[in-house]
Amino acid sequence: MKAQRNPSQTIGPFFHVGLEWKDGGRVTFAEKGQRVVLVGRIADGAGQPVGDAMVETWQLSPDGRTPAPGTGSGHPHGMGRVQTSADGSFRIETLMPGGEAPHLEVTFFARGLLRGLHTRVYLAPEERVRADPALASIARSPRLRTLVAKPAGKDEYHWEVRLQGEGETVFFAV
Amino acid sequence: MNDMTRPDANTIDPPLDFPAYQSTHLRHPKQPLVAIPARLLDVPGPTVPRGFVKSGDNDLTAQGKGLPLGERMVLTGRMLDADGRPIRRALIEVWQTNASGRYMHPGDQHDAPLDPNFPGIGRTFTDDEGRYRFLTIRPGAYPWQNHPYAWRPAHIHFSLLGNAPVQRLVTQMYFPGDPMLDLDPVFHGVPDAAARARMVCKLALDTGIEGVATGYSFDIVLGGAQSTPLGI
Repeated sequence: MKAQRNPSQTIGPFFHVGLEWKDGGRVTFAEKGQRVVLVGRIADGAGQPVGDAMVETWQLSPDGRTPAPGTGSGHPHGMGRVQTSADGSFRIETLMPGGEAPHLEVTFFARGLLRGLHTRVYLAPEERVRADPALASIARSPRLRTLVAKPAGKDEYHWEVRLQGEGETVFFAV
Repeated sequence: MNDMTRPDANTIDPPLDFPAYQSTHLRHPKQPLVAIPARLLDVPGPTVPRGFVKSGDNDLTAQGKGLPLGERMVLTGRMLDADGRPIRRALIEVWQTNASGRYMHPGDQHDAPLDPNFPGIGRTFTDDEGRYRFLTIRPGAYPWQNHPYAWRPAHIHFSLLGNAPVQRLVTQMYFPGDPMLDLDPVFHGVPDAAARARMVCKLALDTGIEGVATGYSFDIVLGGAQSTPLGI
């Protein structure tokens, strides 16, 4: 018989004491690649900033493979972990993931979220995102655009996340 | 439904919209969650280097100049997948209040004393049998703003990476016989009584330290059995 798994609970407002990683916003890899910066901002159903969220990212390495294990006392390669500022913003410095439609897997945890919210952010033109087979069920939906970050200057991408309401970000059942 | 990574989510996990927990009101998505193929997340995930955890990081009572106040307790358990296989070398991060029910966090305004000898942070890896061990103190209950006279039952926060993205879990552990559990909307967000019971540790005094610390046991089951590597 299958064992039943443990349920999810909220991360609460005080996770920083236990989960803050030094330089967690600088993602490391064994390989070299193109540096990119993702600047995101999270808003709630009233349009107010979500200033107490934890954001985790996971991605392929620049050559399109599962990142090698981290080294020394560092973080896992390929994984970012940051908290949002009071204005709801966060920043991840990483390398451009490999693949046809480069993207980061993203999970948000926060007070008021009894489960983590899983989504993706693509650092690729919209037409390539629509062609990603993983998104087949929303390939023609206007909501797919909520997963596409906007290029903003050299090597930088901006991404607006809305937990609820107009322009609500697509979240995945995981 | 078989294509979803956690087809059991709606019976085991709390709903995102749960009015008794007021903070869910403006933060829960109203659009249905979109299915993506399970194989995308049921694959090997981030691998935390061994050096990330230092010797002694699992002893929350030894992080100050002296002993913290409160009931010292040994917390042991195993991390398993849905097939009962051990989840090995997986990172566990915990955080909690001190014995008075206060977090060492600038945002915690609970008018209870801080304990300079208790930051309330711990880390460890599971061993090759999936076992883990912390030495800590029993946390306290604390009031919160959900409604007048609202108190959170004593709990320890757990963050678990598992071995695969589908195993990623943030949860809480509660204590047996706590009368506050019946009144707590976070605990009761979990719809199924058996699932709630899995969040409650068991008193196991013979796992403690004689004359020093009580013992509690708490096993953790994560999803995504497919991804538990046997070779590591």
